[in-house]
Amino acid sequence: MLQKMKKVQVLGPKKDLQSVVDVLYHSGTVQLEDISKTIRHGDTLLRKMDIEKGGDIANTLVKIGGIFLSLPKINYNTKKQEQIYDELQQLSHHDLLARANHVIEELESTTKDLAVKKNDLEFSLGAMDRYEKIIKKIQPLESQLPILEGFEVTVILIQREYREVLDFIKNTLVEITKKQFEMISADIDETTIAAVIVFNKRYTDGVHSLIFSQNVNEVRLPHEFLGKPFNEILQMISVKRMKSIDEMAAIDENLVNLATEWYQELAVLKKVLEDRNAEVGVFGKFGQTEYTFVILGWIPKKYLESTKKALKDAFGNRVFVNELEVSPENMDEAPTFYDNPAIVKPFEFLLQMVNAPKYREVDPSPLLALFFPFFFGLMVGDIAYGIIILVFALIIKKKYKMELWLQHLMNILIISSIPSIFFGFVFGEFFGNFGEMMGWIHPMTIAGVTWNRVEAIVPMLILAIAIGVFHIFLGLSLGILNAITKKSKKHVMEKAGMIIVITGLILVIGGAAKIVPDILLQIGVVLVVIAVPLIIYGGGFFGVFEIISTVGNILSYARIMAIGMASVILALVANKLGGMTDVAVLGFFIAALLHIMNLVLAIFSPFLHSFRLHVVEFNSKFFEGGGKMYKPFRSEKEDETVK
Amino acid sequence: MVDWGIPIGAGIAFGLGALGTGIAQSKIGSAGAGTIAERPETFGLMVILVAIPETLVILGFVVAAMIMIMLV
Repeated sequence: MLQKMKKVQVLGPKKDLQSVVDVLYHSGTVQLEDISKTIRHGDTLLRKMDIEKGGDIANTLVKIGGIFLSLPKINYNTKKQEQIYDELQQLSHHDLLARANHVIEELESTTKDLAVKKNDLEFSLGAMDRYEKIIKKIQPLESQLPILEGFEVTVILIQREYREVLDFIKNTLVEITKKQFEMISADIDETTIAAVIVFNKRYTDGVHSLIFSQNVNEVRLPHEFLGKPFNEILQMISVKRMKSIDEMAAIDENLVNLATEWYQELAVLKKVLEDRNAEVGVFGKFGQTEYTFVILGWIPKKYLESTKKALKDAFGNRVFVNELEVSPENMDEAPTFYDNPAIVKPFEFLLQMVNAPKYREVDPSPLLALFFPFFFGLMVGDIAYGIIILVFALIIKKKYKMELWLQHLMNILIISSIPSIFFGFVFGEFFGNFGEMMGWIHPMTIAGVTWNRVEAIVPMLILAIAIGVFHIFLGLSLGILNAITKKSKKHVMEKAGMIIVITGLILVIGGAAKIVPDILLQIGVVLVVIAVPLIIYGGGFFGVFEIISTVGNILSYARIMAIGMASVILALVANKLGGMTDVAVLGFFIAALLHIMNLVLAIFSPFLHSFRLHVVEFNSKFFEGGGKMYKPFRSEKEDETVK
Repeated sequence: MVDWGIPIGAGIAFGLGALGTGIAQSKIGSAGAGTIAERPETFGLMVILVAIPETLVILGFVVAAMIMIMLV
């Protein structure tokens, strides 16, 4: 249901501006408009508001956010937070920033130091693990190494596929060290070879530059490990690791202590600063005179009184809300706000994916909510498929609670699965003809037709076209309604003419096919003759071509029958193929595979085509779109919960 | 004697419709993919645009079904 919007001006003394913006932000009902567009050139009284120095708040927010993240999470103490929130809300910008800066002074350097220290320790632990792993792998080689004074030991790691580099290094080392070296290699895992090189210290530079030039990974042990036996190194690593772990535990304890003292305040401070930052960000939209501010915005009529009351309670008569008169034409600029019931909301979302309605247009979402599941059900029309779609949608909905778009889509599937099951009963389908084969269910006979979709092709086609005629006529009628709202006589004539001409054509076709009495054929001809001038008057000469397009639109509804029939035939094929094999398990497997494929198509195709019938065929008869949806000034988190 | 004319006619009706849809969708689809890359918010509209030429194959299918049922 479309909510009436009111354009309002909020006026008050400049000193109250920050507080007024805060009240409006928390009431979350006003969509702010940029007043600078309405200030006339050369207006000396009203001018654009200077943008407040938001930088300070943003910078402080970043620092507070950083400290908040560096502390370990502890449980929210709602009561304490509320108390702090009330306290902080009362503070002016200046005082709030002073308080935040005090917190930053207290915590920033301590938390930063602790974080850096912890980071270093974590890095060192990682390195110890790496050294330990390598040393353990090459430890068996130790016994083969000569122990000589004045010799250096280095370890290199090479990927197995580059094994030949080892030979090259060995040959080059002969030249560099004049044969004063020893090189032993061994596989340390499936991909890596480790080589230990012992060489005379005199050739250090030459050896290291050779290793570097070959792009080989050299393990550089810390200084304190150099020259020590591997066993001793492993012991040192173990001691060092224990020490690091103890130090990290001490740091964690420190952080927890800090969090216990500061976490609640930091959480609230962050929230209040975020709010204030958002509030400062909109100052540029306001206007000012020497002593007053002017805020312009749209507000739904049903929230007007509560917003006025909130401002009156906070500021008495100092702040005034002025309702502006807006001409009907200018109402096109108003944001669109449909407060539809929960069942229509998912369809509202679907429609907005393509085009948002304008303020003065009829909202197509309730009609989409009515016809979309109906079309979907007619196309799927299978009890088992309907139940599977329902269960699938319920599972996905439960699993992805945070994904708003997915929630909407699954809600649509849940709603649409009900008519699918219903039409499954009408068509007597349970996994295609499986239910009928088992004698569980049979197609119903209504109006003398047994609604078996494979056999009743012509009745299904006629039904689909009849639905098309009704739907298009409904669209054209809404088009007339929209045209009356906009006082567009020509559009009224064009749409009315189209309804008459289509009625005439149906009578002519019915008469020619001898389905209706001859007299109706003549009436049909008369209707066409009357309607064509109306269409030419409303839509010009080319409006006549619209008749062909509208007939095409109606025929397009044949897809309801065609997609349904394609789906049921695929289900029949699945059952037939499944039944042809002698091995029951194999037959079941084949049938299940084809049914799954059909089910995926049965979700996707009817969904897309039901939607398409609305967007392309139905909406084009009355819907213009291009509107902007109501986006009130409030926190984004609140926005998500309201949706 | 099997009258091959009817199934061949139905096949042509459906096949040409499918071919037409395929050609149209290939062009709309590639242009649409480019558009979505530039402006992801147009996704909903692009899905609808890709679905538009499916009318051809659907009407082809209906005609084929009618040929098969009414003429056999």
